[in-house]
Amino acid sequence: MKNETSFDSRRQFLRSSSLGLQWLAFSALAAKTSSAATGLAPRTGHFPAKAKHVIFLTMRGGPSHVDLLDYKPALVKNSGKEAVIGRDSSGAKLLRPAHPFARFGNSGLQLSSLLPRIGEHADDLCVINSMHTDVPNHSPAFLQMHTGSFQFVRPSLGAWTVYGLGSGNENLPGFITLNPPAGDGGAQNYGSAFLPSICQGTRLGGSQLPALYAAFLKKQEAPGPPMKNISNPHLSTGEQRRQLDLIRSLNEGRLRREPGQPEVEGMIESFELGFRMQSEVPGVLDLGAESVETLELYGIGKGADSFARQCLLSRRLIEAGVRFVEIASPEHWDHHALLSTNLQKSCESVDQPVGALLADLKQRGLLEETLVIWGGEFGRTPYAPGLDGRDHNHKGFSLWMAGGGVKGGINYGATDEIGYEAVEDPMHIHDWHATILHLLGLDHRKLTYNYGGRDFRLTETSGKVATGILA
Amino acid sequence: MKTTTSHLSLVLVSLSFAWAAERESFDFFETKIRPVLIEHCYECHSVESGKAKGGLRVDDREALREGGDLGPAVAPGKPEESLLLSAIRHEDPDLEMPPRKPRLPDAISADLETWIASGAPDPREPAADQTVPSSGRAAGWQDHWSYRPPVPVAPPKVDDEAWAGTAVDRFVYARLQSAGLTPSPEAEPTTLLRRLSFALTGLPPAPGAAADFTPDKLEAVVDEMLASEGFGVRWGRHWLDVARYAESNGKEANISYPHAWRYRDYVIEAFAADLPYDRFLREQIAGDLMEASDESERARLLIATGFLALGPKGLSETNPVQFAADVADEQIDAFSRGMLASSIACARCHDHKSDPFTMTDYYALAGVFKSTETRFGTWIDSESNQGSKLIPLPSLPGQLIPNPSLTKKELAEVKAKLAALDAEEAERKKAAEIAMAEGRDRQEDFNEMLRNALRIYWSRGPLVGKLDTVDEEGRALPLCMGALEAEAMVHSPRYERGEINHPAETVPRGVPSVFSLESEGEVPADTSGRLELARWITDPQHPLTARVMVNRIWSHLFGEGLVTTVDNFGPTGAAPSHPELLDYLAIRFQENGWSVKQLVRELVLTRTYCQASTWREDSFAKDPDNRLLWRHPKDRLDAEVIRDAMLAVSGELDLSPRPGSLVAGLTSQSIGILPLNKDVPHDLDGSLHRSVYLPVLRDHMPDILRHFDFAEPSLVVGRRDTTNVPSQALYLMNSDFVRARAEGFARRLANESSDPETRIRRAFELCFSRPPDAVEAELARNYLETPENPDTTATEMLTRLCHALLASADFRIVD
Repeated sequence: MKNETSFDSRRQFLRSSSLGLQWLAFSALAAKTSSAATGLAPRTGHFPAKAKHVIFLTMRGGPSHVDLLDYKPALVKNSGKEAVIGRDSSGAKLLRPAHPFARFGNSGLQLSSLLPRIGEHADDLCVINSMHTDVPNHSPAFLQMHTGSFQFVRPSLGAWTVYGLGSGNENLPGFITLNPPAGDGGAQNYGSAFLPSICQGTRLGGSQLPALYAAFLKKQEAPGPPMKNISNPHLSTGEQRRQLDLIRSLNEGRLRREPGQPEVEGMIESFELGFRMQSEVPGVLDLGAESVETLELYGIGKGADSFARQCLLSRRLIEAGVRFVEIASPEHWDHHALLSTNLQKSCESVDQPVGALLADLKQRGLLEETLVIWGGEFGRTPYAPGLDGRDHNHKGFSLWMAGGGVKGGINYGATDEIGYEAVEDPMHIHDWHATILHLLGLDHRKLTYNYGGRDFRLTETSGKVATGILA
Repeated sequence: MKTTTSHLSLVLVSLSFAWAAERESFDFFETKIRPVLIEHCYECHSVESGKAKGGLRVDDREALREGGDLGPAVAPGKPEESLLLSAIRHEDPDLEMPPRKPRLPDAISADLETWIASGAPDPREPAADQTVPSSGRAAGWQDHWSYRPPVPVAPPKVDDEAWAGTAVDRFVYARLQSAGLTPSPEAEPTTLLRRLSFALTGLPPAPGAAADFTPDKLEAVVDEMLASEGFGVRWGRHWLDVARYAESNGKEANISYPHAWRYRDYVIEAFAADLPYDRFLREQIAGDLMEASDESERARLLIATGFLALGPKGLSETNPVQFAADVADEQIDAFSRGMLASSIACARCHDHKSDPFTMTDYYALAGVFKSTETRFGTWIDSESNQGSKLIPLPSLPGQLIPNPSLTKKELAEVKAKLAALDAEEAERKKAAEIAMAEGRDRQEDFNEMLRNALRIYWSRGPLVGKLDTVDEEGRALPLCMGALEAEAMVHSPRYERGEINHPAETVPRGVPSVFSLESEGEVPADTSGRLELARWITDPQHPLTARVMVNRIWSHLFGEGLVTTVDNFGPTGAAPSHPELLDYLAIRFQENGWSVKQLVRELVLTRTYCQASTWREDSFAKDPDNRLLWRHPKDRLDAEVIRDAMLAVSGELDLSPRPGSLVAGLTSQSIGILPLNKDVPHDLDGSLHRSVYLPVLRDHMPDILRHFDFAEPSLVVGRRDTTNVPSQALYLMNSDFVRARAEGFARRLANESSDPETRIRRAFELCFSRPPDAVEAELARNYLETPENPDTTATEMLTRLCHALLASADFRIVD
């Protein structure tokens, strides 16, 4: 009891030392919550929303929209003719989709025939065909997709989401990223920049076994717990709480001696969260509780299944209340060469697990409140500089979203007749970010953070919500 | 000496004045004119767009002045005669630009008029002046700051000579002042000592050092740290980040590099001995081609070329041409990013609009590296289709050879197995020949044949690989990874889109001809060209090399580089916050014989470095990122420093270098199955040596390094991320390593004193170089005296207290 009292007074102190914790006062949202001491306390947004969670399936490398999501009869018709528009297109020839498109669902949405399992959910998909971004290079485009900026260190989409809404479970990080790539901007892609570090993405994942041993041992990941150091063999929970109180008091002392140290506030919060995670994480990560049918649905236990496991894990994390989960594609979709075979390979590696994830979410009634996003940092050119490959294209590309308050079974926006440039309802990354935040009940113009005297936001000074995709 | 200096500075001042004036006029062009031309005109009038409508291009000075079919577009000094202006103002209905669009704002035409009236200063060189007309070198690339040679600039005069005593301080102070900021007061002596100790040696100050330290001893203390072995460890590790040092291949075939540690030790020794940085770079590119005074020097030079061999490789690649192209690509990427902060490897597939390096440059370099034999020393097996030998080192007295020997019996067994495989292969070949001669249909046996051939191929690899590491008696040989001249010297074709099945013209191998340096151009027929490349990189006139290193050193001392994108000095990188200071330091670095220690010494002895890190509201509001250096930044300790500091505090740190590496003794080469090896500690640690000696395995990093943002060893990393996530908290609370250090720490305290008060004071002094304040002492006392469970022993409570101190923010933040 004594501990609790001093704990409360420290909390009081932290709340009153406004600097750094200024974000708690953000838009009066935090004031509505009773336990604002943890930055993870759930908050309601600026207006009621359907999407409560996001599962962001990032297809790194730039998946070819003209082969997968953006069917262009003119491209088929003129395949082999010289390209007349487009960056670095001199001498390049237009190239028809490497594999046929097919119609799916009642909506008749056209998708590549390489995506049959995802196609089963065509009537839930909102395919955005008019995406565009600023540069055709992987690292900057990947960063911009995540943070809105490639020139400056800015908070990522997941961090802004947690900042705006907190988490549905204070015992888990609000933002979890599974196996993020080390390159293409690295930790910045799930970083919190100047936002409180509790908003930062936490990495999870075991280490991969080489293919040969994986086949031999029939598992892809090395033995050992999926998350280490999640329990303490020496101290009881009560004893650890007392030790943690001591650490916390020492850290607060540092804050008292000198204001302006948000990183110390971040350390305090991450210790509190780490402490709480100990009771929650082992259960969530245990896929053993899933039925055989579910495992089969995702394709777990057959061949290379780490992406399938991550998809299933993302559903478990969402169920447990995590706000934002990101999974990086096992494939790099950078098909400069051998497009026809490699695209097929890439599609095969994601189609079943992603189709299963949609089915699983729907079956549990979670799809309505979960926004699922599938897309890469840009698309590819309709023309082939070589024989069987496409270059990067940032002027027009496609991605799809499902659930979470988007209209299903529709195409939104359009590129020109060959699929090079977004011409109808163009959606810049800022517009896309604005729309995602809107689906989460957040107004991108109001979701700001004052840093160094200036109000920053995810969409910088632009961003327009695409109302046409709202269900 | 004095006179020379003052003459020199006079010259510098006048030079800088002329340069500044020119730059100022270009500034107007850069900020007001160029963007307008690019945005509104390039689409129809530039090389980039491939269009010159009406015969006009506006993308270089001469083309613009010469004009198109209608005459000069810009007549310097004469706005009324400049067609560009009248077109933009829509003065002539037949010539309205941009076409079919609303007239541009008046502010733009006013800027254009101002610019033309002032003589239309325009830095953009005409295409004809460019060095390689055949290639698509981007127009105007020379305008980018980092591709111009550093310009000597005298430090500005400032009104507070007392504060801004050193040249560096004057540059910093002038910028602070012009932004209405003031520097921070000097840091507390203890704070400063800790900051220096971590920055220079990667260790906390020795116990008791803080009590003896006074600011007048600063120089002596710095000199002592610079001379310590810790300096080599700390700064060698910075370079190892850049050199993407690792002891395994990573990627899809993660195979160990058991001899990589020799390069690690080479780097540590180079920084400890203050090897001139230019020589250090030359050794890594071409050490095998340099003269050695003795066998020991020869060994050192061979090991240096390990830089070229350490990269991640696509070992599962079956096509040797593709593999060679990819290895060369990785080498080009590593040296250009690491040494020049430039991405030459980006020109593999096509030229880039803003980069100076072209496909021609790239394939000239590819020829250099394809004429080089990279010896990485992994063998062929089921995971890996590419193998290579190692480089035998001269035998030296007292030489460390940690790789395993074979007993006579083992050697005989290996040889027998190899002979059996050879015999089997010969027999199968013969059987196949007979079958063919008899005209039998072999199709049905085909799968069987293939399986056997593969089995023999994969089984032979490890045997041959083992034999390569021992002498005739089975004794382990001293070996290293590295580079040698290839048997045949080749030129590389330029590959369209970088695809090896689309070779275009052959490019003579050579050094990129970009900066018009003597060291550029084709190389002699009988050499790979690495020596020439090494000379080019370290050419005193090279605009990048010295600047890049000076900036790296600055970033390690001041938290951020003057150029924040430390690995990217190209057009997509950041501009320098203090361009004159960067140039001043780059020139000075060279003048001082490329001495890293002298530069570090000069920087840490500035007022700028010695400032307090205390937050100040007014300054923060003006410059939240501290780009102008109104305070010293607060830094979280690097992963390896956190570990070393814990070992130092617990009294367990073994300062002797770990001989070799954990990886050197592994018998299997597959890293993926390491977690199945019960002899290897689960956190890949289990030693008390400094962290620089921990195994650096791609995708399998020791826990503490992984959690605290160690450099990703597959990439050139000049600047590490700093994350702050709960998995770090869980590591600090629950890991075996931290618990073991807490136990060691408690033992140390208990051995030194039995008095709880003394123990508490000593614990704080060891951890933070200061005694506890009253509140802290009370907290600690209270914690020790009131265990949750009354049966808990006093030793256990002391351990838990120590654990808490190691996990506290104070422990891992340097002020």
